[in-house]
Amino acid sequence: MCRTDGNGKSGGSPPDSQPGDEQAMFSALLEDSAEDLYEHAPCGYLSTTLDGRIAKINRTLLDWLGYESSDLVGRRDFSDLLTVGGRLYHETHFGPLLRMQGTISGIALELKTADGDRLPVLVTSIIRTGSDGQPLLIRTTVFDARDRRTYEAELLRARQESDRERERLKRLNATLQKTLLPPTLVDVPGLDVAAYYHVASADEVGGDFYDLFPLASGTWGFFLGDVCGKGAAAAAVTSLARYTLRAAAVYDPDPAAVLANLNTVLNHEYNGQDPRFCTVIFGLLTPDGDEGGFQVTLASGGHPPALLMRSDGHADYLPTPGGQLIGVLPDADIATTSVRLDPGDTLFLHTDGLTEAHSVGADGRYGDEALLEFAQELAPTTARDTVAAIRDLLDTFGTGVDDDTAVLAFNVPRHSSEEQM
Amino acid sequence: MNHELTVRTRTTPAGPVIELAGVLDHHSAPDVRTVLPHLALSPGQQLVIDLDRLTFCDSTGITVLIAARNHALAAGASVVLTAVPDDVIRTFRLVGLERVFSIQPTSQAAAAAWTRPGPPSE
Repeated sequence: MCRTDGNGKSGGSPPDSQPGDEQAMFSALLEDSAEDLYEHAPCGYLSTTLDGRIAKINRTLLDWLGYESSDLVGRRDFSDLLTVGGRLYHETHFGPLLRMQGTISGIALELKTADGDRLPVLVTSIIRTGSDGQPLLIRTTVFDARDRRTYEAELLRARQESDRERERLKRLNATLQKTLLPPTLVDVPGLDVAAYYHVASADEVGGDFYDLFPLASGTWGFFLGDVCGKGAAAAAVTSLARYTLRAAAVYDPDPAAVLANLNTVLNHEYNGQDPRFCTVIFGLLTPDGDEGGFQVTLASGGHPPALLMRSDGHADYLPTPGGQLIGVLPDADIATTSVRLDPGDTLFLHTDGLTEAHSVGADGRYGDEALLEFAQELAPTTARDTVAAIRDLLDTFGTGVDDDTAVLAFNVPRHSSEEQM
Repeated sequence: MNHELTVRTRTTPAGPVIELAGVLDHHSAPDVRTVLPHLALSPGQQLVIDLDRLTFCDSTGITVLIAARNHALAAGASVVLTAVPDDVIRTFRLVGLERVFSIQPTSQAAAAAWTRPGPPSE
């Protein structure tokens, strides 16, 4: 049966030895290793009495901990090897669950080594019972979890790092967004003004903008618009649109001329594969007459029409037909319209983030009709109440608002005698 | 909410056809943008954008349609939108774009309306 290859080697395992030979040697190795397997297993073994006193512990675990068997067996409890937190956990969860279920597995704990270091481990315990079913002792295996803990720490560190980056980006976006909006609206005597900007995502700068500013000769200019797209590229266009509108209004305040100017700038600046456009309403406010009214002249470049809420409770869109998206064509068609605001009247401008919000309306969006009904319910109202109502409305949409929304409202206050009525 | 957009392109004697199905918004607009430079467009051809199965188009979506128009014009070609959904037409009217694009009811109608450019005139 036994064949040697004649190279005189013995005791080793010649490359061409019979399979029977290997098996015999392997089982021999297994047989005399029962004790060895316990002592030098790749995990720690520990047996304790039911009160937790250590009765037996293997070499592997002793080596990990830096103790000798005589330091621990019969002298220390398993819980003595735990950190303070671990001991608490052992008392309140581990022990009771083990007694209740007879077994508990995969519990992450930290053991204290002889020289005070901490060893992260995963612990599994089982209650050994006698033939009469009475519990006799607790057997515990202990797995070294240092690698796993390092991995977890690394994951956590990467997560924290990414959270910090995201936080930084959000702050940067918020700052950038603020520079695109007036810090406070100017005070127009005899006019109640309110505005609100709803940020849909803190991760991306939106492209909505508005402003209100004095022009010469007792006139105020205002605009509200929406640059198509999001992010830094859209913000750059927003910034360009804002200062172009303000500069153009000083040069020639006629609303159609102002928008024609912006159209030329955007059309020149951004053409080709990455065109940039905006929709915008630009208007002029001029006090009109002794009654406290204002004359409003509006020009629209493809922007959703303003809503006019009259003092008598009537509300409707103020059409600016024909106005074209700003920046598309070299010679955009821009429409102008005029309206007089009397005491109690409110003019409301918005961007389409509001009407395109996901809601229960037609085709799942809020829609122009729903907004009109909302305005009809609201009228007569004031600028502040309108903006407050819109904020509440946006709140009810919650995450359904997936685009930024800017709103701007003007109202000529009623005379104080009327208010008291 | 499904934000998916399917972009399919095919070639006809009259020029390329892009079929857009689903939601064209700022999430999906880049999918169309990346297709544009790969379109083979010769002078006199027409680029057809078929919107038959478009369910939503926001302002970024409109920007992409204009980018497609600019791309076609730069190649000496024209652009036609077909089967434009009603609410997109409404948006186009709002932003004054209904005069910027030629619109046909179907891509077949667009192909029929196309006339092969004649030999260069003197």
